[in-house]
Amino acid sequence: MSLAVQMRGIGKSFGAVRALDDVHLEVEAGTIHALVGENGAGKTTLMRILYGAIHATDGTFEVKGQPAKFRNSAGAIRAGIGMVSQHYSIIPDLTCLDNLMLGAEPGWTIDKRAAEQRATELAQRMGFEFDWSAEASTLSPAGAQKLEILKLLWRKAEIMILDEPTAMLSPADSDALYGSLKQLVADGATVIVVTHRLPEVMQHCRDVTVLRGGKFITAKPVAETNPAELAELIVGHAMPPPSVRSVPDNAEDLLRVVNLTVAGHRGDDAVKSATFSLHKGEVVGIAGVDGSGQRELFQALMGTSKLRHGELILGNWSLHEHSIAERLRMGLRLIPEDRHEEGVVEVWSLELNAALGLQRFPPLAVGTIVNDEARHQAANEMARRFNTKHGGIRQPMASLSGGNQQRFVAGRALFLTPRLILAFQPARGLDIDATRHVYEGIYEECEKGAGALVVSFDLDELLQFCDRIIVMNGGVVTQPNSRDRAVIGRHMVGVAS
Amino acid sequence: MNDLRLLLEGTVILGTPLILAAIGGYFSERSGVINIALEGKMLIATITVWLVTIATGQPVIGVAAGISASILFSMFHWLLTQRYSLDPIVSGMAINAIAFGAANFLDKRFTDPDQAGFPKLPLMAFWVFALMLPFLVWLYVRHTRGGLRLLAVGSDPDKARQMGVFPQRTRFMALIATGVLCGLAGALIVSNAGSYVDNMTAGRGFIALAALILGGWRPLPTLAACIAFGFFYQLQIQLQGTQVLGISAPRELWLCLPYIATLVALAGLLGRNRTPAGLGKP
Amino acid sequence: MKIWALLAIAVGLVYGALVVAGAAPADTAQSLIQGSLGSAKALEGTMKHFTPLLIAGVAVFFALRAGLFNIGVEGQFTVGALVCAVVALRMPGWLGLIAGILAAAVAGALWAYPAGWIKAMRGGHEVISTIMLNNIAGQLSTAAVAGPFKDPNQQGTTTASIDPALMLPSIWQDPRISAALLVAVLFVIGIWRWLGRTVPGYELQAAGANPRAATLAGIDAPKVTIRAMAISGAIGGIAGALQVVAYEGRFFAGFSSGYGFDALGVALLAGSNPLILFPSAALFAILAKGSTTIQVMNGVPKGISFVILGLLIVIFAAIRYRKVPVKES
Repeated sequence: MSLAVQMRGIGKSFGAVRALDDVHLEVEAGTIHALVGENGAGKTTLMRILYGAIHATDGTFEVKGQPAKFRNSAGAIRAGIGMVSQHYSIIPDLTCLDNLMLGAEPGWTIDKRAAEQRATELAQRMGFEFDWSAEASTLSPAGAQKLEILKLLWRKAEIMILDEPTAMLSPADSDALYGSLKQLVADGATVIVVTHRLPEVMQHCRDVTVLRGGKFITAKPVAETNPAELAELIVGHAMPPPSVRSVPDNAEDLLRVVNLTVAGHRGDDAVKSATFSLHKGEVVGIAGVDGSGQRELFQALMGTSKLRHGELILGNWSLHEHSIAERLRMGLRLIPEDRHEEGVVEVWSLELNAALGLQRFPPLAVGTIVNDEARHQAANEMARRFNTKHGGIRQPMASLSGGNQQRFVAGRALFLTPRLILAFQPARGLDIDATRHVYEGIYEECEKGAGALVVSFDLDELLQFCDRIIVMNGGVVTQPNSRDRAVIGRHMVGVAS
Repeated sequence: MNDLRLLLEGTVILGTPLILAAIGGYFSERSGVINIALEGKMLIATITVWLVTIATGQPVIGVAAGISASILFSMFHWLLTQRYSLDPIVSGMAINAIAFGAANFLDKRFTDPDQAGFPKLPLMAFWVFALMLPFLVWLYVRHTRGGLRLLAVGSDPDKARQMGVFPQRTRFMALIATGVLCGLAGALIVSNAGSYVDNMTAGRGFIALAALILGGWRPLPTLAACIAFGFFYQLQIQLQGTQVLGISAPRELWLCLPYIATLVALAGLLGRNRTPAGLGKP
Repeated sequence: MKIWALLAIAVGLVYGALVVAGAAPADTAQSLIQGSLGSAKALEGTMKHFTPLLIAGVAVFFALRAGLFNIGVEGQFTVGALVCAVVALRMPGWLGLIAGILAAAVAGALWAYPAGWIKAMRGGHEVISTIMLNNIAGQLSTAAVAGPFKDPNQQGTTTASIDPALMLPSIWQDPRISAALLVAVLFVIGIWRWLGRTVPGYELQAAGANPRAATLAGIDAPKVTIRAMAISGAIGGIAGALQVVAYEGRFFAGFSSGYGFDALGVALLAGSNPLILFPSAALFAILAKGSTTIQVMNGVPKGISFVILGLLIVIFAAIRYRKVPVKES
């Protein structure tokens, strides 16, 4: 019984925001420890402190019994700590071998043959296989995750931090990953997994620490808790029952997707002959692991990528024959996946951003002339709708936190009576209450005759908020006839029948 | 036969400063700093080499001073872009303007109009170095820690940082290399000319940049582009007044060739776009 | 950055340079002002710089709002001036003047077009492509006035001169101020209103600030980019044409004394407010005209004005173009 990591009274402030306050973490050597909590609970911040990427404002910590104070990640790496962040730190232009060595090269000069030999040995130990001279851009998400783990081994890390390691993986790949982690633990490593997927915690971890709103809530052995209790600890109150909305069964079709095939960026078919429909007033969730074709489906609906074949019918319009601008005019509204890149202009004020996508429509424009006053009012209304916290609508969008930007973007998408709402991870960066608000906003528009398609990688969110769930797996759309978690899960990995 | 010899010699004389400057640009751009200031860095080196050599009578001291001046300007570039997050293009323009003005100022103020003769540098050593340099750089990026980190930082500075590499430090070293090589290129230009005229580099920094882009930011193709540019320039000199295929093209048309070739390369008509992914990222 | 420290260093550098040149700094400053603003003749000379700098500044400014660094105004200016001179000399009377300016706008737009296309369709950096286009413009225009368009009656590489009676009229005498200034002012105000008040103006700036978000907002970002570059080039071409029909009356080798590059400084100084183009262009014009005077009067090499220009660009870029501070998520 020895502690690999002991963190005490950790606090961290970003300006006026208190991200962490008096947080404790004790991780026993040779175990897999889960760190759980909602988005914004401070999990990643705590781990970045341990990894030396940022510095704690208060508190101290010990690594393997030694007091530790890292000036930067290089110090943490020397102390045997390694971290795989949620967005992999693999550089696509470099080869797999170069990525493996970067930052921990064998010396001033590099003997590629010797390095490759050592790399192959490491990979064999884990049962992985790599083409070391291939560019890393050719790796699948699972392959990239494996390379990340090898990078930790290459650095001789004994304490490994994995931030949401299964977010991009299929269930089968996730199981394989935990298999590898258990092998590492058996060899004496210590693993900390940051996650919000409770089944993983229950199945694979020994202990769990719960954070909420930057505060330490509890730490206990997994064996002494259950998913319901953990869920309650995470959100702070009992989970509300799933919403019951009555959608008329006989409602007419709003959107019909017929035999849709869309090319992926590798030239293959990312969406394969998808056929489904969305009724007026309905909120349909699209479940599936990341990369199952959800992105390409939305791109086809918005008009940013061309169809290989098939049809998209909105009401009696052939959507696919129209430009993005015309689709917006027909009432398509998008809550994009990456709001920084796709949803806002960060250097612009909220006021200017309010018109983005609506710039040609009255009242924001009169003919081709901008209506300043209407834009000003619209910006205020959009910010109010989901309680965007801001320092004035003339302030730049960049001054808002991610969650507040998301609220504003959601408010904008529901402004000016949308007809078809396309929401990609609308709850990203939002706490559970804000998430519910946004869905309630979507319901409001649906009652006025709109419809919504929602993509989320969090099945529980979809189960809670959507009227119907369809599933994408490898570009194929299936329609499970049950809301049972297990049934949908089987559809997600393509073993439904 | 004599013509051929002249052609080869001219190609080397015109091509070698381009190689030095282009490989100088290689280090900068591969580390992620867009460098349109090769011109200014070379120009400040030319005037410094010129004045210091004449003042001391020692070409070695002159060249060392020229390299130092070029490094100084390169460090200024690093400071502006990395420490103060200034746009690399804006700061590059400013450096060119300052170098152009300073060279003009120093020349008008200090050059003795009666000055005759300028000691020749050991040209052969320069030529051998310049021609071997791209091969050395090629080996360097493939087989050293510094080379790997250079490419990593230029490709994705944020991810490189996560792996414990310090992009600012890597770029500092890269911009020193740029300074040294632009300094050598400037020294070579003065030595080749044997006298100083205003705006001595006459846009060769931009031709070097063109060669680097044409070479797809890779050392060996860049070498080939520099030699090609030198070759065509010399050919143009030798063909002046004579007719090629029945027409006599004005020399300006020949001088346009490097720029046109670069435009064609930028338009992606010569294979895939190889711009380093992190070029210009903070 | 400590702006004031930088400013102090810059002032110190310039002061030191003056001392090195053996000139009394106070006298030099006086002749700089005297030589650029001190008399009707000086003012006329300054206006000759001010007008093209203002219009070329608008061209750069416009492109910057669309997210494009149009370093190519130098080339567009040159091509515009050449085409204007050639057309105006071959057309009778007033028709030549108008046709010349229009042809210059088209020529400038065409000269900028490849840079816009390469940027929008191929992702090639417009700075590199416009530098290449500048060099090509410089070489080809020299070849043009050395060859086909050379005035056979003159020694130098120049076109013939336009009949002075058919040049752009003055709107003021003593100091003589050309109607070109009026055109320049109209350009600034027109661009200001267009960008701020119209939907296409909004869309152009959206495409410049975030092309992906703009695309999802129904804006054809590549098309907007190409069009913005062409319009910027057209304005640059008009700047060159006006320099021919208002001041020079002809085109000659080395026509642009770096107006395109100075214009970048003018636009950078103006930041996001087009009205600041006025003082900014005035500052550059005073430096350009005054530096000639101090070279003659005080023996300070003209190069010093470029050093000052470079330092100014750094200082103002430091104030205006600092990146938004990275925030922790």
